[in-house]
Amino acid sequence: MFKKIWATCLVVLAGLLLSSPVLADSTLFDGKTITYIVATKPGGGYDTMGRLVAKYLEKHLKGSRVVVKNVPGAGHLIGAKTIFAAKPDGLTIGTFNTSLINSQLTNAIADHPDMNQMSWIGKAAIESRVLLVSAMSEFKNFDDFRKAQRTVKMATSGKGSASHIDASLLAKAFDLNMEFIHGFEGSEAEMSILRGEIDAHVGSRSSLQPFVDNGYGRILLEIGGEPGSKLPQASDLATTDRSRSVLSLIEAQARISRLTAGPGNVNPLVLQTLREAYMSATSDPDFLAEADKLKLPISTASGEAVTALVKAALAQSPEIVGLLKEVLKEE
Amino acid sequence: MLIEASVSSLLDLLISPHMVLLLVVGVMIGLFFGIMPGLGGKLGIVFLIPFTFGMDPLFGAVFLLAMHSVVHTSGAIPSILFGIPGTGPDAATIVDGYPMAQNGEAGRALGATLAASGVGGVIGAVFLSLLLPFASPLVLAFSPAEFFLLAVLGITFIASLSGDNLLKGLVVGLFGLMISCVRLDPMSGEQRYTYDQLFLWDGIDAVTAVIAIFAIPELIGLATRQEVNAEKLASTVKYTFAEVWEGCLDVGRHWALTFRTSIIGAVIGLIPGLGGDVASWMCYGHAVQSSKTPERFGKGAVEGVIAPETANNSKEGGSLLPTLYFGIPGSSGMAILLGALVTLGVQPGPQMATLGLNFVWTLVWTLAIANILAVFILLACAPWFSKLASIRSELLVPFVVVLSMLGCYLAANAWQNFIVLLVLGLIGFLLKKHDWPRPPFVVGIVLGPVAEGSLHKAMAIWGYAFLLRPLSLVMLALILGTIALNIVRLLRRSSRHAHS
Repeated sequence: MFKKIWATCLVVLAGLLLSSPVLADSTLFDGKTITYIVATKPGGGYDTMGRLVAKYLEKHLKGSRVVVKNVPGAGHLIGAKTIFAAKPDGLTIGTFNTSLINSQLTNAIADHPDMNQMSWIGKAAIESRVLLVSAMSEFKNFDDFRKAQRTVKMATSGKGSASHIDASLLAKAFDLNMEFIHGFEGSEAEMSILRGEIDAHVGSRSSLQPFVDNGYGRILLEIGGEPGSKLPQASDLATTDRSRSVLSLIEAQARISRLTAGPGNVNPLVLQTLREAYMSATSDPDFLAEADKLKLPISTASGEAVTALVKAALAQSPEIVGLLKEVLKEE
Repeated sequence: MLIEASVSSLLDLLISPHMVLLLVVGVMIGLFFGIMPGLGGKLGIVFLIPFTFGMDPLFGAVFLLAMHSVVHTSGAIPSILFGIPGTGPDAATIVDGYPMAQNGEAGRALGATLAASGVGGVIGAVFLSLLLPFASPLVLAFSPAEFFLLAVLGITFIASLSGDNLLKGLVVGLFGLMISCVRLDPMSGEQRYTYDQLFLWDGIDAVTAVIAIFAIPELIGLATRQEVNAEKLASTVKYTFAEVWEGCLDVGRHWALTFRTSIIGAVIGLIPGLGGDVASWMCYGHAVQSSKTPERFGKGAVEGVIAPETANNSKEGGSLLPTLYFGIPGSSGMAILLGALVTLGVQPGPQMATLGLNFVWTLVWTLAIANILAVFILLACAPWFSKLASIRSELLVPFVVVLSMLGCYLAANAWQNFIVLLVLGLIGFLLKKHDWPRPPFVVGIVLGPVAEGSLHKAMAIWGYAFLLRPLSLVMLALILGTIALNIVRLLRRSSRHAHS
């Protein structure tokens, strides 16, 4: 009998130990160097946010050093693949464009890193998308745009890019008559809008806001805006279930912006430590002050929340996946 | 108000020991990054960005700009002494700078390049200051239509870069254009000869192409130079300060060309998306086209050194205009600088022309002073550069090989880029061995993506009517004029050969 009681105690103890939450160890990175990969060239929104996050991550991971490394190319894919293929020891993490979710959904690229397998550490922003036109444009509001008697010329950075897919989905949601002109990289779309060659462009609000603040542009519509946003919201104007589900794809990705991830199978203790440090870093008053100075909107979410959001974003209906493939095949 | 802002910002710059120190340190770092093949200004800014965290925006901007504006001044030194470009845009200097050194005129080439860089940089700064009130119409004048025609104009210069054999030059140039098509098609998203290799999706970068085509053949030559008389080689590149000074005076002698290419460089810098390589090659081509004796080019013509070097530095002032005024970077280096400026809290936009006038003038003075300072520093160091060429090849070649490979790796962040380096290097070696011109290949690689992307956009926006835009018509006339001039020269050369 005594043996049975002892065995039962051992089993209960084992169960308790195995089910207990992983407790972060703040000294885990003491003396270690973490490489924070930014999947773009230096300069630009991802690089700026990445460097800011890296700086404060270093502050909140005791004894660590966080070094930013730019790994640009192939529309963030090289950087994302580099993170995915890294050793899962927590010493290689980084950031890339959430639009890779679209490319995974459509199976457009061989050996695409599986977003469901990434170890999500957190995300720093909600990057709503906006429909931008020139301040001199004939389109004063979205209603004018919708009722345009002609084909609207829409600039994108490239076929299959985030700007192309977002604009295409917007067109599907509201039956807009658009012609896409690809190849406007960086700020070329804004220049083209200024010159009056292009009618509109869809991009992230934070990157296009300075153009609007300088008096050159006008935002007609926002997709995935935060509550309290003064801009007209696409979700308010959608009238059918189909339009709402199309817009929800854009909104889902807008919510998971400026993410930080590591490769799959990172040790739970290491991941928890990184997650906690990330949340501390991004709620640090100095971080928020610097982000404010840089006009970077901050809206953080934990690694656990991002994991769930990514899973939901990847679990699209066959109809939506078909729509995405159709968008990429068109023209 | 303009004069007040310019004078007060100069005084503020000079009386602040901290700012002067940052300027001097920035210049020294820029000269280092320029002289090391494969490093360059972009990497310099990336290296310096962490040091600017916490700095006052103006101090940080002065530091970064001082560094970035002088890289091409020192970048020409390895071009002249070894035929290995310090930076991508300095490759154009090799075409005549290296033959000058081989002809025993290394000192003169160095003097010309230093003075040209200094003058070009100052003219670029003046250009920026004078044009800021007119920035908007100038920057907006250039649409995809003009980009395409500018690229075609540059490609027509291929003929003038081909020396005596136009056909060889065209073949090499078109080969470069063909290689530039290896990338992900931005219009259709399809892979073009990239064979699922991600590092090729953005195309073969100009830094790798330039190092491969110019540096690798020279390194092979250096590595096999044991049979060459070492004393003879050292004496070829040995020079006196008087020779260096002679080169400086050459810039004054060719003042019209110096002024023209400085302005062309600044204008090309003003147009976002063209970049430094375009400025130096276009100005080199202009120097050849405008010369009464174009047959001297490629064999050691000092104008072939002056033209690209003025453009390399003057473009900096031009490219600051759209960067500061629109927040749209004038070049890839400016893109990084812009990111750094925004991080420092600088907000580019039209208010720069009014509320930010002091800031802009401080940058103008930084450009001018940094360029002048760089010239004096390098002139003082000039006697030691010739010693570099007499270093034993067993020591020099591995060092330069490692630097070149580092530059290639950093350009693409992929080890597979070494394969591209080797393949193109082999092509460069064969071209050199069989006396085929190499510059047209680089022009093709650099201008191909600009030409293709701009043509697609122009056709999508206007159809063929893009050729009827006013500025497009002017550029078409320039292109046809250039082609006609080349044909006339070719015919004259053929008739001269027939008579002799």
